[in-house]
Amino acid sequence: MAYLDIDNVVKRYEGHTALAGVSMQVEQGCIYGLLGPNGAGKSTLIRIINRILAADEGTVTLNGKRMTDDDITHIGYLPEERGLYKKMKVGDHIVYLGRLKGMTKADAVASMHWWIDRFNLKEWENKKVEELSKGMQQKVQFIGTVIHRPPLLIFDEPFSGFDPVNAEQLKVEILALRDQGSTILFSTHNMASVEEVCQQITLLNHAQVVLTGSVEQVKQRHKKNIIAVQTPDTIVPNDNLFTLLPPDPVKKSETRIKLAQGVQVRDAINWLNEHYHLTGFAEVLPSMNEIFIETVKSQKIENNE
Amino acid sequence: MNKLRLIIAREYMSIVGRKSFIFLTLGMPLLFILIMAVPIGLAYLNDKGSDTQQIAVIDETGRYAAALKSDDMYNFVAIKGDTVTNAREFYDKANGSLDAIIIIPRDVDSTGMVDIFSEEAITPALVSNVRSVLADTIETAHLTAMGIPNIQEMVEQAHVDVDVRSIKWSEAGDEQESSTDAAMGLGLMLSILTYMFVLMYGAMIMNSVIEEKTNRIVEVVVSSCRPFQLMLGKIIGVGLVGLTQMLIWIVLLVIVAMVAGSAFGIGQVSPDAVSPESLRMAKDAGAMEMIMRETLSINYTPIIVGFILYFIGGYLLYSSLFAGLGSAVDQPSDSSQFMTPVMLIMIVAFYAGMACMENPSGPTAVWCSIIPFTSPVVMMIRLPFGVPFWQLALSLGLLFGTALAITWLAARIYRRGILHYGKKASFGDLFKWMS
Repeated sequence: MAYLDIDNVVKRYEGHTALAGVSMQVEQGCIYGLLGPNGAGKSTLIRIINRILAADEGTVTLNGKRMTDDDITHIGYLPEERGLYKKMKVGDHIVYLGRLKGMTKADAVASMHWWIDRFNLKEWENKKVEELSKGMQQKVQFIGTVIHRPPLLIFDEPFSGFDPVNAEQLKVEILALRDQGSTILFSTHNMASVEEVCQQITLLNHAQVVLTGSVEQVKQRHKKNIIAVQTPDTIVPNDNLFTLLPPDPVKKSETRIKLAQGVQVRDAINWLNEHYHLTGFAEVLPSMNEIFIETVKSQKIENNE
Repeated sequence: MNKLRLIIAREYMSIVGRKSFIFLTLGMPLLFILIMAVPIGLAYLNDKGSDTQQIAVIDETGRYAAALKSDDMYNFVAIKGDTVTNAREFYDKANGSLDAIIIIPRDVDSTGMVDIFSEEAITPALVSNVRSVLADTIETAHLTAMGIPNIQEMVEQAHVDVDVRSIKWSEAGDEQESSTDAAMGLGLMLSILTYMFVLMYGAMIMNSVIEEKTNRIVEVVVSSCRPFQLMLGKIIGVGLVGLTQMLIWIVLLVIVAMVAGSAFGIGQVSPDAVSPESLRMAKDAGAMEMIMRETLSINYTPIIVGFILYFIGGYLLYSSLFAGLGSAVDQPSDSSQFMTPVMLIMIVAFYAGMACMENPSGPTAVWCSIIPFTSPVVMMIRLPFGVPFWQLALSLGLLFGTALAITWLAARIYRRGILHYGKKASFGDLFKWMS
């Protein structure tokens, strides 16, 4: 049984359908990437999980139980459009967010101190939010999301607004939270970060799931049977086994070959090894970015037909 | 409930903790005091600063000059034997040491005319002083001249002031003394209070909603509580801010009244205050007493209960309207398209209230005090005059029913509005969101 089980969720607005029967299973303790172009329905789905919006059809089950309004205390949500009360003091603000999630005052204060220590914000505790730099405000926002140690965390574009150093710190914190048992749903456009942190992904496009599975599986499914070969020799194509591809513009020393239909990697490599002096080879898997663009584009063509 | 309390507390503190709130709360009464005190203070300084005026009194009758008593401001000097023809000469001879000359002509008893000459402007205070003193003195002289013993006492006994009491029969047939002036004043005051409160704090709620939206904090908050809780928390929080502000003002008012009361009280006791002026004030005090009696004769219980109910109902109605409309807007500058219709309704309510003062039982007054959007203002005007029970019940029932309905609709708009960014919402969108 998945920790978070979204079953056939439908959401309609006047004039358009935001989610047309979306299902998704998120296992406990994993980082799950929710991907998709703008307007695919990611934010709507996240808001339904957060019970900000109500689904027209379908169910959301958390830890084996159908979700109710009380379950929102088990979620920490960092929306894409986020902000803070500018006039509130940093410490008070974090405590307020914690208490809204059902913490007692004492717990919230203790947790707030632990986190601002961890993010080196101690000296800012009694400053107003508006006095902080943008990066520091983002840290306060993050603390406000995780202060109540929720078992389910939902981050919508968490890295936007962070510089690389702070983004790295944030990534470390997110991984640490996962290691402590939190389940993390992660919505982003940033495909590099998906490859770095996500184990599972679901790609939404036009209100529907178009791709789902572990990052490894998805890559395997989308591989083009391309091998990068390193050799000082000049390879001549063998039509039975492979064709030559134009070299990668970045890695010019590599020769890229595309295997012919039905040809196994080891057969091609054996043949190459007999005829050329190979110094290395590696299968080229598509990046998530390429898969994303390819899937979304092919859908667009389908839709136009 | 716990969350609602948290939201209320945050909303309350976020406004009360602001410097602008403290300035406004303490500044408003100060401003009022200044507006009222500055002219009085300046007038006082004006009198205090000027020297005692030397005034010559040429009394051709020789009987009345002594009645004019000198004091700090005027020094009356009786001049005997001179006549009108050389008044100017006399003035010039005094070489500037005289400020004015009063001439009481020989035929003053029949004409009642007295002249004051001066090169400078003659103050109204001097004129009224001379007028009242001489009128009393000459009147007494006339009475005495009639030669009837004890005439003075007889006149005093015959003197009558007519008060008109207005007495209202209740349906049970009891008589109840009602007083139009005091009732009107009270009704007007309560009505303006309701109006101001709803307007001021309604706008405050709207700003608070828009601020949360532009801050983009709102999605974080509604992922922890229901949008309705956030809206209700705001309405209650801002309402409590308003009550706090009113309470502070009432306390300040009481303090000022007590301080002022004790200061004037001492002034009245001092013996040198027994002048014609203070005698007239004593007459005014009689009028004051009448107003006091009228004020006390009003039955306050229904008014106070009614005020509280209409206040709550009206505030709930308009504040949820403001909250709902505010949620549809991204920036304060866009709010006017939604504000204008609400303001129009409120202005209509206010004018209806003013119009109803003339005839609190007329058809306009009755209808406007039953229609929910105008009733909080108009009923406050009618209440002190007495309102039939069925009208009160109908009006309150409608007000609270509508207020709850509007709150419910506003919550539906709010739920959608707070997450709506970008394209400006139209009234059509609002209706769609309600459904």
